Amino acid sequence: MDKMLAKIGLRTKRADISARLGTKLELSADLSWLSKVRYSIFGREADKGLLFKLFIYVILIDAAYIYLKPVLHMVTSMVKDGADLLDPSVNWIPRVVYFGNLQDAWAWLQYPKAFGLSMLLSVSVALLQTCSCAIAGYAFARLKVPFKPVLFFFLLITFIVPLQLTILPNLVFARVLGVLDTVLPIIVPALFGLGLKGALFIIIYRQFFSTQPKELEEAARIDGASVYKVFFRVMMPLAKPAILVVFLFSFVWTWNDFYLPSMYLANTETPPLSLGISRIASMIRAQAEISGPSIFTEPISMATTFLMILPPIILYAFAQRWFIEGVERTGIVE
Amino acid sequence: MNKATKLRASMMEYVEGTIFIAPWFIGFVLFMGFPLGFSLYMSFRKVNVVATGMTSSYVGLKHYKDILLEDGSLLYNDLIPFLQKTLFMVPVIVIFALLIAIVLNQRFAGRSLFRAIFFLPVILSTGQVVSELLTQGEGALGFMSKYNVSGLISGNLPATWATPLIWILDSFVLILWYSGVQILIFLGGRQTISNSAYEAARIDGAGPWAAFWKITLPAMTPFIFLNMIYTVVDLFTFPTNPIIMRVRDSEYGQFSALIWLYFIIIGIFLIIIFILFSRATKSQRMVA
Repeated sequence: MDKMLAKIGLRTKRADISARLGTKLELSADLSWLSKVRYSIFGREADKGLLFKLFIYVILIDAAYIYLKPVLHMVTSMVKDGADLLDPSVNWIPRVVYFGNLQDAWAWLQYPKAFGLSMLLSVSVALLQTCSCAIAGYAFARLKVPFKPVLFFFLLITFIVPLQLTILPNLVFARVLGVLDTVLPIIVPALFGLGLKGALFIIIYRQFFSTQPKELEEAARIDGASVYKVFFRVMMPLAKPAILVVFLFSFVWTWNDFYLPSMYLANTETPPLSLGISRIASMIRAQAEISGPSIFTEPISMATTFLMILPPIILYAFAQRWFIEGVERTGIVE
Repeated sequence: MNKATKLRASMMEYVEGTIFIAPWFIGFVLFMGFPLGFSLYMSFRKVNVVATGMTSSYVGLKHYKDILLEDGSLLYNDLIPFLQKTLFMVPVIVIFALLIAIVLNQRFAGRSLFRAIFFLPVILSTGQVVSELLTQGEGALGFMSKYNVSGLISGNLPATWATPLIWILDSFVLILWYSGVQILIFLGGRQTISNSAYEAARIDGAGPWAAFWKITLPAMTPFIFLNMIYTVVDLFTFPTNPIIMRVRDSEYGQFSALIWLYFIIIGIFLIIIFILFSRATKSQRMVA
């Protein structure tokens, strides 16, 4: 790599000189206007020209359309009333904005209670994982740990084992302890840095910490700070981008996850939102099998989905700027 | 510093490291190690659920034999189409994510708006939401039905490969919805390439095309590797995955055997990717 860079550097100097000579010659030519036109279309350096810009926009708008279309479809179809649904001329924009579907969905989901439960789960899991995974990640990145390679292998195993492999023993576990149908079986593993995608978060932190310069810690250690002080006072404040990324991921994934709630909270009266919408969806499907598919169910299922994804979208709208920055500052991987 | 204090200092460091790792390790043993061992043990036993709890009796390798040799409907009927789909999906997802990440890295007006849009799948694509959003036939591409592409494919390919390919094209949009995190990983990875490398190449007369193949792609190889691993793990452990779906309603001993076999298959897949990449990076180093 170094050799390559040196080579590039050498060539750069040579090329620089010849490039300067080249521009001079070109300017003196009569046909300079032609190259001006060429530059504005293809760009002086090919990625600054109109053609390239156009290409970028075509790709992005196409791809953005793929992502936005279902969301827009959801929003428009959930405010359609019966007449608009039956009228084939009403495709995208409903003639009247009808909030009945949202009201129904609100009632079906038992929204305030389910929202509270989802919030409790996601916030506590996210907070716990943000801390516990940071501690484990720091140990993996920097500290002397006996049998570290073996432990790291275990960590990778945790990453690739499907949840379904361990769910039944854990269910039995929870039943014996009498915590089934409470939120504890979902929250407690997060306290230890496990839980939903915990291994991935540890790996993210590990990557982040191992890219930080060692001098900072060494300086703090020489000043007499203990390893705990170094971690909480020096490393954690540095890790803000990683913390943000992990928190947001953890929050959103726990919020959307319906597998764990469907296992541990199956018999609760008010399920969290993710489980709630999957129940409503299967209810609608069952209904459709008996009486045939109905176009009137679509606005309802769209409205329930909307109510569920609204909170993470609002959260993301606030955190978005820092989030992207966090990702770019090797928040994710190195 | 004499030997004894040095030794003690290094002992202290190990103790500190152990304290930091201990919570995770305890959690691992409780919530991962023990359940893993339990399900492995149960995969050799026949489990009966009775009123007072569970009883089980040793059956040896019977479950594994049943699944692998006797009853094809247990594993193969779902696994083989799924593996075929995965073979198509992984490259599609990774290439699409790479393309979007590189484009998002350019400077252009409205970049932050587009970035915000491309993080939508990260927020929405887990759990029920996508399937909910895409059930209304939003998954297909418009040109498929217009030009009768599926007819063309099934006419020219044997059915075993035509079916997954048609499925891929039919649910192309759905596949793109799975690429949110992959785009993020590539965006992060792209930041590790310094701009001076591009400048040098540009002055050297390399166009963006050459720069992509000579600089971006080699530097992105580790991230492509990471993304392939992530995608494979994600696809294999997705709750709506056919094997994981069917596993829920079979009996526990067999369930354990099935999911252990499945886990081994994931492992083989990952090892193959790993070998391919270590070869690729080796040959790259030789060229450099």
